[in-house]
Amino acid sequence: MRAPRFLLAIPAWAWLAAFFVLPVATVVYFSFGYKPGIFGTHATDVLSLDRYREALSPTFFTTFTNTLRVGVLGTLLCLVIGIPMAYWMAVKVSPGKRAFLLALVIVPFWTNFLVRTIGWQVILAPEGWLSGMLQALGLRENPLAILYTRSAVLLGVVYNYLPLMILPLFVAFDRVGPAMREASKDLGANRWRTFTRVTLPMARPGIIAGILLVFIPLMGDYITATVLGGARGNMVGQLVASQFQAAQNWALGSAMAVLLIIVIAVTVLVGAAIAYVVTWPLSRARRLRLADLEGLPEKVR
Amino acid sequence: MGERRTVTDYLLYAWGALVFAFLFLPILVIMVYSFNEGRLLVSFTEFGFGSFRAIVDRPAVRSAVMVSIQTGAIAAVFATLLGTLAGVAMARRPGKWVLWFVGLLLLVSVTPEIVDAVALLPWLVFLGQDLGLSMFDNGVVRLVVGHSLFSTAVVSYIVRARLVGLDAQLEEASADLYASPLTTFRRVTLPLAMPAVLAGGLLAFTLSLDNTIISAFVQVSGTTPWPVYVLSALRSGLRPEIAAVSTLMLLLTLVSLMLVWLVLRRAGDSSTQIARTMTGT
Repeated sequence: MRAPRFLLAIPAWAWLAAFFVLPVATVVYFSFGYKPGIFGTHATDVLSLDRYREALSPTFFTTFTNTLRVGVLGTLLCLVIGIPMAYWMAVKVSPGKRAFLLALVIVPFWTNFLVRTIGWQVILAPEGWLSGMLQALGLRENPLAILYTRSAVLLGVVYNYLPLMILPLFVAFDRVGPAMREASKDLGANRWRTFTRVTLPMARPGIIAGILLVFIPLMGDYITATVLGGARGNMVGQLVASQFQAAQNWALGSAMAVLLIIVIAVTVLVGAAIAYVVTWPLSRARRLRLADLEGLPEKVR
Repeated sequence: MGERRTVTDYLLYAWGALVFAFLFLPILVIMVYSFNEGRLLVSFTEFGFGSFRAIVDRPAVRSAVMVSIQTGAIAAVFATLLGTLAGVAMARRPGKWVLWFVGLLLLVSVTPEIVDAVALLPWLVFLGQDLGLSMFDNGVVRLVVGHSLFSTAVVSYIVRARLVGLDAQLEEASADLYASPLTTFRRVTLPLAMPAVLAGGLLAFTLSLDNTIISAFVQVSGTTPWPVYVLSALRSGLRPEIAAVSTLMLLLTLVSLMLVWLVLRRAGDSSTQIARTMTGT
């Protein structure tokens, strides 16, 4: 008898089934239950959608919209910062230096997430050195008041997830290669046209990967908001955590967790639809058909 | 490249320098503040090595670091074992099943960590107390379980990517020469996949050292890993020891990163491929 083709994948499959699929399925199940009394965490003898209604009530709804705003804004900022950066590294830097710069991007990425964020807390603290320096230079009269606001959370998430945007963008720009850009220039395109009509469209897979790699973990962020956000910069991740820890309401926390996943999935789908609607007419208008070239002299064709 | 530099080139250069400054600013701040002799991390009073001595003197700090390193090592071995087998199967025994399996791996990697965390907590309590599997009451076991999920997916991707890029003819030749499947796996497939296996293992180790959210939920008091210790110190006031340990951990991470880089370099990967491998993309 021949062994099944997936034989060697069985251990990993079983492990993930036991400690990922089943627990997450349980959370989905809990989300239809309720919290029985003060001491219970969850009960599932009566199933309903009430916890979802509760999770979307005005008290919590603002946290969802706030998280979505930070998520979308943070991802866009990463994209705006990351595109010139990745383009510079992939196109302008000599290949020898490129490996070194790439390593430099990876170092912060592998430095402890929590510690990096604490670094920002030290920098932004009203009694910290940045605040002192700005006051000494006369740029500010009062101590810095960014820490524990939404702006601090936005700064923190852009910082924390930026490498995840730069790396796939770099890979994509690198893959386009110099031959394509030279061909574009030989055909009469200037630098800007080459960038917008050749390099950027060809780097599309990298842009999509970067957006997803930043947006998905950003939406579930818990640490950045806890360290830099305080009470004013609340995100859904903290909401879920507090329902499981402080409030001991597992049913409501589960509903929030499921809603978080739904919000992420829906946003990604809506974003994809918008991107498609925007780029489709553009690429259509720019398409050159062979038939249009018929009237031109042989040489140009 | 031989053309003259334009204004755009200089602007791009300046942009790159700014982004690097932004990326390294908080890390440098932490490193500088690890030499703070003051009582609180935020206010720098005077320069000294007191915080590094405190790592050795304070048992809570020492034990947290030890728990982290221990869990990291076990979780890395575990994830590497599971991931390597799965990666080999995906690359060498492809079929319709791979689609389902990759779907599962993708699901594992896109699920927000906080969801994994809140899902694992009741599940481990259920396994440990309701089913009486007392091993799941052990703090290190719980941490290893939590840390191994994402890493298993990452190692699977890396090993698969490496083997898909290599011709399967060597393995066929080995089989033609009457090597048993086990011998072929041990003597041909595994050595071919080795750079990816090592890189994956080191990544799994650093991922585990870094893991905060899952750890905060599944940990048992007595086996608090380092990031959770820092998280709780956040509420009671951050002391300079935190920066000192972070500086040491950063050095540890740098060494393991350099090892990964060297391993992949020797295996003939380009820097682009290395970057992809090291970020699991």
